[in-house]
Amino acid sequence: MNNITVPIGPQHPLLKEPLSFLVSLEGEKVTDSTLRLGYVHRGIEKLAERRTYIQNVYLIERICGICSHIHSTTYCQSVEALLKLKVPKRGLYIRMLLCELERIHSHLLWLGVLSKNIGFNTLFMYAWRDREIVLNIMEEISGGRVSHSVNIIGGVRVDINEKHLSLLQKSLQELTIRVEEILRSIENDRSFRARTRNIGNLSLEDIKRFCVVGPVARASGLDIDIRRDAPYAAYDELDFEVPLMTEGDVWARSILRILETIQAIRLCTQIIHNLPDGPVSVTAPRRVPAGEVVSRAEAPRGEVFYYIRSDDSQKPARLKIRTPTLTTLITLPGQLKNMQLADVSAVIAGVDLCIACGDR
Amino acid sequence: MTIEKTAIKLQEILNLDRSTKKLIPLNEVKITISKQQILLAVQTILKSGIWHLSAITCQQLENEFNLLYHFWKSGGLTLLISLDEKNLRIDSICSLIPGAEYYEREAREMFGIEFLGMPNPLPLLLPDNWQGGYPMRKKEQPSQEKSKENPAQEKGKSA
Repeated sequence: MNNITVPIGPQHPLLKEPLSFLVSLEGEKVTDSTLRLGYVHRGIEKLAERRTYIQNVYLIERICGICSHIHSTTYCQSVEALLKLKVPKRGLYIRMLLCELERIHSHLLWLGVLSKNIGFNTLFMYAWRDREIVLNIMEEISGGRVSHSVNIIGGVRVDINEKHLSLLQKSLQELTIRVEEILRSIENDRSFRARTRNIGNLSLEDIKRFCVVGPVARASGLDIDIRRDAPYAAYDELDFEVPLMTEGDVWARSILRILETIQAIRLCTQIIHNLPDGPVSVTAPRRVPAGEVVSRAEAPRGEVFYYIRSDDSQKPARLKIRTPTLTTLITLPGQLKNMQLADVSAVIAGVDLCIACGDR
Repeated sequence: MTIEKTAIKLQEILNLDRSTKKLIPLNEVKITISKQQILLAVQTILKSGIWHLSAITCQQLENEFNLLYHFWKSGGLTLLISLDEKNLRIDSICSLIPGAEYYEREAREMFGIEFLGMPNPLPLLLPDNWQGGYPMRKKEQPSQEKSKENPAQEKGKSA
């Protein structure tokens, strides 16, 4: 049979962001695939070297439209380490609150994209309806639905008041009910299982070889989570579980992300009940003494990595960013091999790509 | 095995003196090695049960380039290698850690580091017909020349 090559992307209804796949087919079976990045490469690492540390907070936030807060959190905590600044507890708690709200928002968004790709439109609508609850909270706290600009070097810009707390309590209760209902429906849904079970398999061995992080790694049985293994902010003061699955397919990744969403809601509830008093930020100097720092944090998609070298000036000498999407992208050609063409959409959606993060 | 023990083992196997080990902020151990030792060092680290390579950072200093290999297991271990700017060649570690491929490709196109034996030397982020030099080097000005044709279209035609 003749081989056919089908281009998927850079502009394709299947993908929300530009990424180019060339899929070689033999009949309906995928024999090979190559992928090409770089369509949204903005040279942010280079741009950061020309801006001051304070300007960079806002540049860094624009790496990604979904996990903007975790990027600025990781950046700010690295600069604070270079400055030897101690951020007030209340500031750290508000940072964590936004991180966890962002995780809920990201996972629900992803669930919508996956269900749309496999033709489950009802779930897509439910997931995105429920995501509005989180977006409303974030808008109420920060003024922005996706770009919050909450972090500043030395703490956060906003404070949580009584009005926010009552909104949070009411909304989180409602969200718990909705997310548990989503979990029940996808666990028992026959067609969801049929479209996602045993596709895009990744073994624990492959996860380790390709240094994969986040929910994709945890769905294959690798127990890593930066929040628990190397706590940043004040995660060591909170009580939470890290869900783990061993199947390693798209179905396991789906269930795992919903379980993570439930944990994130639990964390938010803990944070608002234990919110310490006091100031939310300290004043930071503009000039950063020479030094280097390595900082990691757990984004909705896994470990995000920052390296900063300062040279006793107002601008960083080098800023390196490694986002979790880059680690999952490298496994995609392997996952797609021997798949049916109709399953490609589910596999691509299942790993939760964020191309803007990957390209920077 | 913890990061601390692995660091001591690395120093023993590679015959490094104590001054090569440094601590940098946020719980990170940094060890300076020479570029001939990279494969042996990565093998030792893998044998100690640390398989996760977070990133490879490349940076340009006065007369040299630095490569930093950031490993992680509940704590960080960074290997630092200095390359002379006249000889930017180093062995690829993709044969030991396949996940390093994208990091090496990025360092190659952004800084011009030559990784010997890398499996896929195609550009990762820059266009296929990029002529603007190595964008991340200091004093490098952004190129004014625009790409003539969309690389994806070109690929689609040839396929």
